[in-house]
Amino acid sequence: MAEDESDERRSRTSDIPVDLSRERETFVRQFLRKGVELTEGLIDENKELRSQLAAAQRENAALRAQVASDDAIRDLLRKIESLEHERKSLVERSSELEESSRRTEHRNLEVEQELHDLANLYIASSHLHSTLSVRGVMRHLKELLQQLVGAETFVVYLMDESAEEARPVGWDGVEDASALASVKKGEGAVGEVLMTGVPRVVDRIEGPGTLEAPIAAIPLMVRDEAVGAIAIASVFEQKGVWAAVDHELFNLLGSHAATALIAANQYTEAEDAFSALRGLGDHLNPNP
Amino acid sequence: MADFSCLVVEDSPMMRQLLVFALARIKRISVTEAEDGVDALRKLAGTRFDLVVTDINMPIMDGLKLVKRIRSDETHKDVPIIIITTEGSTEDRQRAMALGANAYITKPIQAPQVIAKVKELLSLE
Repeated sequence: MAEDESDERRSRTSDIPVDLSRERETFVRQFLRKGVELTEGLIDENKELRSQLAAAQRENAALRAQVASDDAIRDLLRKIESLEHERKSLVERSSELEESSRRTEHRNLEVEQELHDLANLYIASSHLHSTLSVRGVMRHLKELLQQLVGAETFVVYLMDESAEEARPVGWDGVEDASALASVKKGEGAVGEVLMTGVPRVVDRIEGPGTLEAPIAAIPLMVRDEAVGAIAIASVFEQKGVWAAVDHELFNLLGSHAATALIAANQYTEAEDAFSALRGLGDHLNPNP
Repeated sequence: MADFSCLVVEDSPMMRQLLVFALARIKRISVTEAEDGVDALRKLAGTRFDLVVTDINMPIMDGLKLVKRIRSDETHKDVPIIIITTEGSTEDRQRAMALGANAYITKPIQAPQVIAKVKELLSLE
């Protein structure tokens, strides 16, 4: 039966005219060629589209990277701004700390100087009153003037009993001690100090003075009365200015030196410490 | 416990006390006092000192002789020495420096100056 159908088809084909057959064959070939061309075109177009897609993806990635980069830059800028702010803050804090450190250092120096001044005053006071010998008190007084004040030439005067004249009782740096004379109350710089009880100290040390015109004249006071004076004619060359403690030492000498000398002088008249204490109780408790 | 020991040689008790007060402001330092050069040598003989502060004008043995003796002593030849001088003793100061003193301070002394000099010689902060 299958052979019959095949034969029938062959017979039908053979029945088609030759031209038509060719035409059909040409058509089929053209159709197939165009199909191939179309397919190739589609393939090319597909390739092109793929290429464009890849390019677009690359561009997209680049843009994404750019955006990310911009964000990173913005983050970095923000970070830089923050760090700059922090740096300014640290610089300000550092300046404050440096200033604070300078102030502390300055204050430390001031404290050290104040301690030194207090030590000077303590030592001066304790040494003045550490002896009941008149010579001892005078030695300490002279040492104090030399070592603590830096006095080079000076004379200590004490009033005589008339209370009108003061005579030199101690000195140092004086070339001719035999030429030292008594000073009358009210006469000259020292006499004026003896009269008024007010110290005379030059503001600026511009060189040595003289015993008649000393650079410092300090009254030695007992209660409100000057019983003597210290005249400083010159100080050591390197001492260009009075230190604050010098004025304190002058005050201390003014109020303690005469008392120490009087106490030592009174004590020399006593036989011993016990006799020197005689009558003390009565003075402390005059109306038992 | 002190890390440094200092010998102060000064005949004036007042000055000696002032120097001791100043040195006491420095931490980790102990101070021994001597009244003159001979007393100082006696104390140097038994102890190792890190620093000597000495006056120049002293009875019995002055500061110049003391500096010379210290520098000729094997034990103490390298110990730093500060001399205390007065204005009128420039020659003494120069002689002391020539004999081997390391520094000088002029009277009347200022504690901050003494402290600074001692710290410098002992390489303290």
